[in-house]
Amino acid sequence: MSGESKKAPYRVPIGPNHPALKEPVMFTFEMEGEVVRDVDFAPGQAHRGIEWMGMRRNPVQIVHLTDRICGICGVVHSLSFSLAVEQIAGIEVPERADYIRTIVHEFERIQSHLLWAGVAAHELGFDSLLYLTWRVREEAMDVIENLTGNRVNYGIVQVGGVRRDIVPEQHAIIEKCLATYEGLLDTLLSFFLDDRTIRMRCRDVGVLSRKDAVELCTVGPTARASGVNVDLRQDYPYAAYGDLDVKAVLPDRYLGETHGDVYDRIVVRLLEVGQSCQIIRQCLSEMPAGPITAEEKLVKLLATCKKATGEGIGRVEAPRGECLHYVRMEGKDSPASWKVKASSYSNLMSWIPMLRGSQIADIPIIVASIDPCLSCTDRVAIVQDNRRSILTKDDLHRLSAEKTRRLQG
Amino acid sequence: MRGLPLVPELVRQLFRRPATNRFPAKYLPPSMRAFLRDVQAGRATANPPVPTPPKFRGKIAYDRDSCIGCMLCVRVCPAHAIEFLPDTKKIRVWVDQCIFCSQCTSICPKSCLSMTDAFLLAGEDRYAEDLIVE
Amino acid sequence: MTPAEIALLAAWCAALSLFALAGGLLLSGIDRKLAAHMQARIGPPIRQPFIDTVKLLQKENVVPANAIPWLFSAAPVVALVSSVLVLFYIPVASTMPVLGAYGDLVLVMYLLTVPALALVAGGFASGSPYATIGAQREMVTMIAYEFPLAIVVIGVAWRLGAAGISHPFALQSIAANPVWSVTGPLGLAGVFILLVVLAAITPAELSRIPFDTQEAETELAGGLLVEYSGRNLAMFTLAQAAKTLVLAAVIVAVFFPWNLSSFLAMPGLLAQAADLLFFLLKAVLVLFFAVTLVRVAMARFRINELVSFYWVYLSVIGLAGIVLLMADVVAGPLAGVGV
Repeated sequence: MSGESKKAPYRVPIGPNHPALKEPVMFTFEMEGEVVRDVDFAPGQAHRGIEWMGMRRNPVQIVHLTDRICGICGVVHSLSFSLAVEQIAGIEVPERADYIRTIVHEFERIQSHLLWAGVAAHELGFDSLLYLTWRVREEAMDVIENLTGNRVNYGIVQVGGVRRDIVPEQHAIIEKCLATYEGLLDTLLSFFLDDRTIRMRCRDVGVLSRKDAVELCTVGPTARASGVNVDLRQDYPYAAYGDLDVKAVLPDRYLGETHGDVYDRIVVRLLEVGQSCQIIRQCLSEMPAGPITAEEKLVKLLATCKKATGEGIGRVEAPRGECLHYVRMEGKDSPASWKVKASSYSNLMSWIPMLRGSQIADIPIIVASIDPCLSCTDRVAIVQDNRRSILTKDDLHRLSAEKTRRLQG
Repeated sequence: MRGLPLVPELVRQLFRRPATNRFPAKYLPPSMRAFLRDVQAGRATANPPVPTPPKFRGKIAYDRDSCIGCMLCVRVCPAHAIEFLPDTKKIRVWVDQCIFCSQCTSICPKSCLSMTDAFLLAGEDRYAEDLIVE
Repeated sequence: MTPAEIALLAAWCAALSLFALAGGLLLSGIDRKLAAHMQARIGPPIRQPFIDTVKLLQKENVVPANAIPWLFSAAPVVALVSSVLVLFYIPVASTMPVLGAYGDLVLVMYLLTVPALALVAGGFASGSPYATIGAQREMVTMIAYEFPLAIVVIGVAWRLGAAGISHPFALQSIAANPVWSVTGPLGLAGVFILLVVLAAITPAELSRIPFDTQEAETELAGGLLVEYSGRNLAMFTLAQAAKTLVLAAVIVAVFFPWNLSSFLAMPGLLAQAADLLFFLLKAVLVLFFAVTLVRVAMARFRINELVSFYWVYLSVIGLAGIVLLMADVVAGPLAGVGV
């Protein structure tokens, strides 16, 4: 077709509710035929004011709120909040607790990555693979339920340690689950990577160059799939990761080359499932005996937290990338400030270079490929008189300066 | 099958028993309420749900007699689901608000709060009798 | 024709229409059940499509504000009528086509495009960007699979013609003389290739994964059908069901026309019933391999991949089939096989 430039671009809205999106976000695509010319997106559709709720509760209560920031990374947020509070109150977490935290954390990564793989298959119209991966995922969910008492909102982390020990009888259950996954991993890799139709749909689709990945500050598997060697577990170890040998999973170690496309993101996530199995196994064998919490008496813990003053930052490598909690305590029951930066926040901007120039058909898989979690990310929504407004860069700068001044007193 | 590695697995699956747990019935009954009424009256049988593991955190149970009214549970409840009744110095738990974190059961000095394995709590009335524990 | 003949014809047509709708819904129910079992699910009961259709028929019909109302409402009717109409020209079980005297395989080929065109018209009339994209894609898909489809039709009819059968395009003669029976070994390979090509076209005709770009749930939220609801959607569902049966009937008539009654001696009515059951069995088998197995085992194609699949790969494969058939005609007399 010669009249490429004559074709009038038209707009296709996708979201906030759309079958392609598992999370609410509003996209506006400027299309030329089937090709995306430009894209804009508006997050902030799922703001729930959890931080505001946190300011009216004590840290022991907030830990359970953090569980509910995200429906998938239950342990990530509570762990990173606890790390921040422990830093402020000077609580030393016992070693055994660190290992249990690591084990649950890695199980969470397994189930989250398998969940993502299923969603990715569904976005490609490959529902059989969705059912298969989600069926396999149940193994991890069952183990998590056994370890923590619940499938989704684990509630296992508490400031100062963990709330439940892993007893010897549970070792067998964990071991069985790990063996299942280690046996299945090659099959799963083959189902995803050897499939001609998946390869056709994902190879060189949604490419994020290494340069863009670094400049846009992407984190987690999104960055690693573009060849950026970042992983908090290797760069800034927390919990038990200091004792373990964790290396970031990069696609070229498996395929010999890095494309930075959707296919590479599948590779990274599936390989991380295998890596998590190894980490859990190592944790189980090296786990020291001892107490599981620094302060068994919750009343004493509340008093310690109340006395604490200062600020702390907890950083955790969530399944989607770095998750950060900032907490400031001023000697009161509840924190003076609590800020959550979920991993998807850093990854959202990478949508724009990925989506530009792609086809409509690729939009769902590209959007899903960074594993966005909007309910984690949406920390702000400005609604006045029932109307939303957009803050410009200048507005944001002014507001940040004001807030800094307020915090400095 | 090269190129489509899933095909043999799919064909194999065709002759296996599906993985779905048939709870409460194989197919959705025309009316779920009527079906549940029938089950209660013994006219129909429901397939059992997936069993819960030990130490599952389900609906809360409260031993009213051993409660000393220390209010510690009220202090740690993240969902503000526990109401203190000053007249009797006892508590009332609103299960529709409860988030099943089990924090109150860990702090209770008399261990009069505990988690059961009941999880079929969905209903239409937030203030139904079985959703208020006191 | 006498009035009595016309009345008989009308009665036959009415019965066939009912059979098209009920049989089509049954086939979609079986398709869903088989797909579910392959995915380790229980799936809905086989009667589910009937329940859905009855429910849809009771629902409110919403016409969007920026739609073209008459076209928007006419499209489902056209789609339904044309889908059912095709069955009048195709032999079902041992019944010869009701209107067989008035049309042949070429007419069937053209009639099959009418429901698709109605969908396109309805999609453009919806006034939704998703439906518009869906309509564009449906047109592209139609153009893409039309050529391989023509190759199959011409290939089969030409081979029958070369075998000296009169009216090779008429479905009666195709059904009466199974194309396998007139060919030598080379030709058998050619016919098999044409069967594969026709089977590969079926998912696109029925807009099923991997060729369901025009509906693409995760991309276009239902595409063409996104604005349809209530009775209109029910009519499209019924049209889709009838089309499922029709396509199965076409493949059965062209490639598997044998009937039970020709092998086993049975009293008249029983033979009819047995043939009908046998026909449904053949239809289920054909649809299982052409639609169900394919749609659970693949990811959705992009529209450009779909076009290159049909225009390049399938057309080349189809032409190879024709070449084999030609070679068969040339080699047949030499080797002393065939006709």
